Amino acid sequence: MTQDSMTDPDSRTGSQSTDLEGSNQPSDPLVDSSIDAGQSGGSGGETRTVIESRNLDVFYDETQALQSVDIEIPAEKVTAIIGPSGCGKSTFLRCINRMNDLVDAARIEGELNFEGKNVYDDDVDPVVLRRKIGMVFQSPNPFPKSIYDNVAYGLDVQGIEGDYDAIVEKALRRAALWDEVKDQLDSSGLDLSGGQQQRLCIARAIAPDPDVLLMDEPASALDPVATSKIEDLIEELSEEYTVVIVTHNMQQAARISDKTAVFLTGGELAEFDDTDKIFENPESQRVEDYITGKFG
Amino acid sequence: MSVFVLLLYVANDAFQPFSADMGWLLVPIGTVIIPSLATVSYYYTRDTRAGETATIALGLPVVSLLLTGGVFITFEHVVSVYQWLSILVSLVVAGGIVYAHSRVRTEADLERLVVVVAVPALALWFIPGLILSLPMLPTQSLTLLGSFVVPVAVVVGLFVRRQRENDRDGAIAAVLTLVGAAAGFGVAPIVGITPFVWMLLVTVTAVPVSLYVESVIRRGAGVSGLAFPLIVVGGIVASVVLTDALGFAGPTPWLDWGFLTNTPSRTPEDAGFYPPLVGSVMMLLIIVISAFPVGVGAALYLEEYAPQRGRWGRLVDLIEVNIGNLAGVPSVVYGVLGLALFIRAGGLGSGTALVGGFTVGLLILPIVIISSQEAISAVPDSMRQASYGMGATKWQTTRNVVLPEALPGIMTGNILAMGRAIGETAPLLIIGAPAVVRIAPSSFTNKFSAMPRQIYTWSGEIDAAFRHGVLAAGVVTLLVVLLLMNGAAILIRNKYQRRE
Repeated sequence: MTQDSMTDPDSRTGSQSTDLEGSNQPSDPLVDSSIDAGQSGGSGGETRTVIESRNLDVFYDETQALQSVDIEIPAEKVTAIIGPSGCGKSTFLRCINRMNDLVDAARIEGELNFEGKNVYDDDVDPVVLRRKIGMVFQSPNPFPKSIYDNVAYGLDVQGIEGDYDAIVEKALRRAALWDEVKDQLDSSGLDLSGGQQQRLCIARAIAPDPDVLLMDEPASALDPVATSKIEDLIEELSEEYTVVIVTHNMQQAARISDKTAVFLTGGELAEFDDTDKIFENPESQRVEDYITGKFG
Repeated sequence: MSVFVLLLYVANDAFQPFSADMGWLLVPIGTVIIPSLATVSYYYTRDTRAGETATIALGLPVVSLLLTGGVFITFEHVVSVYQWLSILVSLVVAGGIVYAHSRVRTEADLERLVVVVAVPALALWFIPGLILSLPMLPTQSLTLLGSFVVPVAVVVGLFVRRQRENDRDGAIAAVLTLVGAAAGFGVAPIVGITPFVWMLLVTVTAVPVSLYVESVIRRGAGVSGLAFPLIVVGGIVASVVLTDALGFAGPTPWLDWGFLTNTPSRTPEDAGFYPPLVGSVMMLLIIVISAFPVGVGAALYLEEYAPQRGRWGRLVDLIEVNIGNLAGVPSVVYGVLGLALFIRAGGLGSGTALVGGFTVGLLILPIVIISSQEAISAVPDSMRQASYGMGATKWQTTRNVVLPEALPGIMTGNILAMGRAIGETAPLLIIGAPAVVRIAPSSFTNKFSAMPRQIYTWSGEIDAAFRHGVLAAGVVTLLVVLLLMNGAAILIRNKYQRRE
C-alpha cells in the first residue's frame, strides 16, 4: 500500500472550511489548498488535493463495502477508479457527494474531506455539497424535459442567476453536443441517441460549474464510437475540473486518467498511484494479476 | 355476462326502441350503420392511421360538447360569470403582487413564503366582494368574453406557438379564437342561441376540434379519417329527414333531452334529471378541491418523505396497510363518519353538496392515495438520483421530476376514483341528501341530490313507469357519465405510455 505514509491525522483538523455550510456562492475560497499541496506524491508534487478519504468504511446493513480506504485525489486531474465488480468503486464515488445518504441501509465511518472539510460533519448540507460536485451516472438519465431544460435544470434548482441561454450554450459546447442539437433545443432529451444522452447528462452536470465531476462508468452503456467521444470530452474537461471516473474498462483508465486507484474484492484499496506506474510497474502482485487479466 | 344482459334490459327500458315503427328502425341502418361499417372496414384494412384519426375525430367533438355542457352548468349554477370574473381579477392582482415581491426582494425566502400564502388568500377574501358590489357591471356575455374567452384565447395562442415554434401562428390562433367567440354577438341570435352559449361552444368545442383537424391536415397522415364523423353525422341527419318525410313514428324514449333538462316531477313523462345532475357535478367539484390535493399529498409524503426503516418505518408500514384496509370499508360506514364529523361535530348543514363532497371525498381518499402511490413509485429511481446529483433538494426533486413524471398515472387513478365517487349512494342517504330536489342547487350550502340518490328515490315510487322507465333512463345517464370518465382515464394512460 503506497499511500499509508501520506495519512497525517493532525494536519487538517484545525482549519476547516465553512464553505459547505449553507452558502452556494459560485466562487469559493479554497481554504486548505496550501496544506494539501505537495502531498499527492508522484505527479509533479505541486498539485493540491481536493478530495481525501481517511479510514473510510462503508457498510450496507452488515455487509462491509469499503474497508478503511485512504486516498487523496488531486485537483484538475483525471483520477480513475478500477476494480472487479462489487469491489466498492461506485460506493466510494457516491460517498464523495453523499449520494449514499439516499440509501437507507448505508452507514459510513471515517472521514472524507472535500476542500479540507469532512463532508460527513453534522453541519454539512449534502444538497450544498452536491452543488459543488457534479455527477454523471452509469446509464444516461436525462429528464423527460426539453434539451434546454435538462441543461438548465441545475441552474434552476441551485438558484443561479444569469444569462441561461449563454450558460446552456456554453455547457453544450463543452460537452461537444452543441452542433448536433442547436436546432432542436426544445425537443425532448429522450429523443437523442444513447451517446448524445450521456453527453447531455455531462452538459447538465457541468452547466452550474461545479468543482469536481464524478463519473460512474459513464461509457459502459455506449458503443465504441460514443465511448471515444466521451473519453475525448473527459480529457478536455480535466483542464478545468477535477474528474473522478469509475470504470471497469482498464484500457479506458489507461488512456484517459492521470492517477489510478485499484480497488479489489472486499472493498479495499489495493493501490493508488500514477496511471503509468500502475499499468507498467504495480507494486502489489494482486494488482498486477488484475491488470494483466488473471482475474476480475 | 349477466350484468351485460341486465344492461341491455335497462337500455331497452330507457329508450323503448320497439315502440317505434319498423321503418324508423330500418332507415338509420341504411343511412348510418351500413356506411359507417363500410368506412370502418376500409380503415381497418387499408389505412390504420386514418382509423386512429377517425376515432379521435368522432370522440373529440362528443367529449368537448359534454365538457361545454359541464362548463355551462358550472357558470349557470356553481359560480356566476361575475363571481368568476372577480375570482380571476383577485388572482391576477395576487399574482402581480407575488411577482413584484419576488423581483424586489429576491433573497427573502421566508418572507416570500408568507407573501405567496397570504396575498392570494387576502385577495380572494376582499376583492370579489368589492367587484360584485360595483354599481355598474358589463352584461353577462361581455363579462364572459373578457374573463373566459380572452384567457382561453391566450392559452390557445401559447399552445400553438409552442407546437409550431412560430409566433405568428400563435397570434393568428389567439385572434381567431377571440373573433370567433365575439362573432356570437351578431350570429348567435340568428342561429337561435344566446351569445353566452355561442361563446362556450366556440371556446370549449370548436377550438379543440379545429386545432385537431388542422393538425391532422398539416401532418397529412390519415386525413381520410376526418370523413368518418361527417359520414356519421350526415347519416343521422339523413335518417331524421327520411323518417320525417316517410311519416314513420319514432319511439317514445324515457331518456331524451327533456329528461336531462327537466326537474323531477310527479308525472313520469315530465320527470327530469337536471337537479341531481347539477348536484353530482357540484359534489365532484368539492371532491376535486378537497380530496385530491390531500390524497396526492399523502401519497407523495408516504413515497418520498416517510422513513423507510427503523421504528418510524414500521409505523409507516402499518399506516400503509391500514390505508389499504380503509379502501375496503363499506361506504355506509363512511356515511356515518361524515354525519358525525361534518354535520354533528363540524356544524355543517345536513344534505348539502359541501357535506356530500367531503364525505364521499373521505370515502375515495384511500383509493386516491393508493393509486397515486403506485404512480409515484413507478417513476424510475435514476431520475431522482439525477436530480439529487444536481444539488436539488428533496422538494425540488419531487416538484420538478417526480410529480410531472407521475402525473399521468395520478390523473388516471384520480379519474377512476371520481367514477367510484359519482356512483356512491349510501353515504348520501346517511348524510341526509333529500329524496327529491326540485330546483338545481345554486350554492354548495344548499340541499342537493346526486344522480344515484335520485335513482334510489325512483326505485321506491309506486307508479311502475317510474320504477321501469324513468329509473332506467337515470341509470343509463349515470353509466354514460361513468363510461366517459373511464374512457378519459384510459386515453390519458395510453397517450403517455406510448411516449416511452
